[in-house]
Amino acid sequence: MTADLSELFEQYYGSLVRMLYRRTGDRDRAEDLAQETFARAVAAPPNNPRPWLFAVALNLVREDGRRALRQGRRLELLRADDPPPQGPDEDFDRNERSAAVRAALATLSERDREALLLKAEGFNYDEIASTLGLSKGAIGTTLARARRRLVEAYRSEGRGKNVAS
Amino acid sequence: MSHLDEGTLHALLDGELELSEVSEIQMHLGTCVACGSRLQEVKQVLAEADRLVGAMEVPAGTPRPRPEPARTSSPRTPIRDPEPWNEPPVLLVPDPIDAEAKRTRWMRVFKLAAAVVVVVGAGRIISGAFGTSHPILPERDLTSASPSVPPAVVSAVESRRADSPAATPRGRSSRPLAQSRAPLPSAPAKTRALAKQPSAESAQTLADAGVSVAEDTTAAAADSDSQLLAAGETGDTANEPAPEAAGTLDSAAEEKAKQDSIARESNPKDELAVRGAAAAALADLDRERRRERANAATAALPPARPVQPESDAVAAPRTLEQRAQVYLRVGLDEAAKQLGGPVHVIEGMSPQFIGLTRGQMVPGADPARPVVRVVYLDSRGRMILLDQQRTRAGQAPGGAAGNLRWVTGDVMLYLRGEPSVDVLRSLQGRVR
Repeated sequence: MTADLSELFEQYYGSLVRMLYRRTGDRDRAEDLAQETFARAVAAPPNNPRPWLFAVALNLVREDGRRALRQGRRLELLRADDPPPQGPDEDFDRNERSAAVRAALATLSERDREALLLKAEGFNYDEIASTLGLSKGAIGTTLARARRRLVEAYRSEGRGKNVAS
Repeated sequence: MSHLDEGTLHALLDGELELSEVSEIQMHLGTCVACGSRLQEVKQVLAEADRLVGAMEVPAGTPRPRPEPARTSSPRTPIRDPEPWNEPPVLLVPDPIDAEAKRTRWMRVFKLAAAVVVVVGAGRIISGAFGTSHPILPERDLTSASPSVPPAVVSAVESRRADSPAATPRGRSSRPLAQSRAPLPSAPAKTRALAKQPSAESAQTLADAGVSVAEDTTAAAADSDSQLLAAGETGDTANEPAPEAAGTLDSAAEEKAKQDSIARESNPKDELAVRGAAAAALADLDRERRRERANAATAALPPARPVQPESDAVAAPRTLEQRAQVYLRVGLDEAAKQLGGPVHVIEGMSPQFIGLTRGQMVPGADPARPVVRVVYLDSRGRMILLDQQRTRAGQAPGGAAGNLRWVTGDVMLYLRGEPSVDVLRSLQGRVR
């Protein structure tokens, strides 16, 4: 079992951390949540690991978010977890773009956001449906709405900045 | 087919639709301009959304402490790990506590299995060694026994026949056996039943009779012999009315069986060829069935639409949406959302509908964003379009167009249509 888990870890860890980072905006938290997800996989080895791991990880994110709210902590969506950009301009631009996308993503509903992030990790509609507990027929509409809103929010964000500047 | 919704278009672009659905949609897209332009729009949105999500890279930053002190060997040129999370991470999963116990248990199971294998193997060897002393076994032609031959159902008669020295050569046992059984009035019932099936199997069964009884002991053979004699006599009594006919059948069946068995022995390649031909015929049959199924499945579909010249497509009656070049009809809420404020309308006229059109199609508009289009028909059925788009900082509506393009607040308006400029200018004053 340990060998299987080790394989799972190597296979999905990177993808899981990336999705969690995009979801939370905090790399350390993403790594912690990924570790916690795999620890749960040890306790109850999944049959269909990919949807299982991502579903557990997303549940952990939600739980973590609720706990943070209860404790009065603010979600650190826009927290700069990187050191302040002192490098070349492209680093600065990249960080700024990344923050803008994260802000746009934060305007989406939880379901739309998660469907979008799972799709970005290469999930097909069946897997997204199974991970999020939706019907497969609803995934096309969910993704359509999520993508449109993300693009609109990002554009309006850019427009707001342009106006402000 | 009705217009395609956005979810279907996304599913299409994501490759999530069945082949039949895709062909149906493609047929529709070939005829519907509105859906075609919507598809283009969806493509752009999808590409941009993917690009945006992809832009959220996990920051390289300082990786978590790792047990690798060698990485700090060149402080002047720090090696920046582009994706530290992609490296094989330290697996913080504890080894199960009872792992050692499990390993021991598995080893014990393996040992037990190995012991069983050794015992079974030894048993086979020993039984083989004892078998050579059996009076029957030296007569068996083990090398010629094909593994593919099914085990024959052996009657007591056949077990008796195995004792006969004439039964030794395989496939030639029938005649000598029959001869050896000459003192009997006729063949026993079982043999006759087999003889009445002039097939290869019965011939093989008869031929194998001498081989299949190797397990019988001599005593058992003797017993069965006596039983057989009794059974043979009983069978004879039952078949008494036509002993000659039975004898004729027997000899014919034996002849046939002999020929079959000789043919089988002499021509194994022919058999292989026959099997190959049968397999090919089956494959052909399968293909034929598949083709028939496909034909039946597609019979209900309309015939493939021939590619029509552009002029024919244009000649088809166009809907108002197509005439107005609106790719998506929207409600007041959506339109207001696009504009960031209320939608402008022509006072005293009822709009046919509100929709979105591409920015490239409206002069002076931002081509990257959709334009809200309010569509009217005047009393003579002429189409009037009131285009609106929220302006960006520094975006100028542009001149010309007979001053029918202007800005109200932060919304650019453009009035145009089929009526003359004078008519449109009169309507311009009624835009609210």
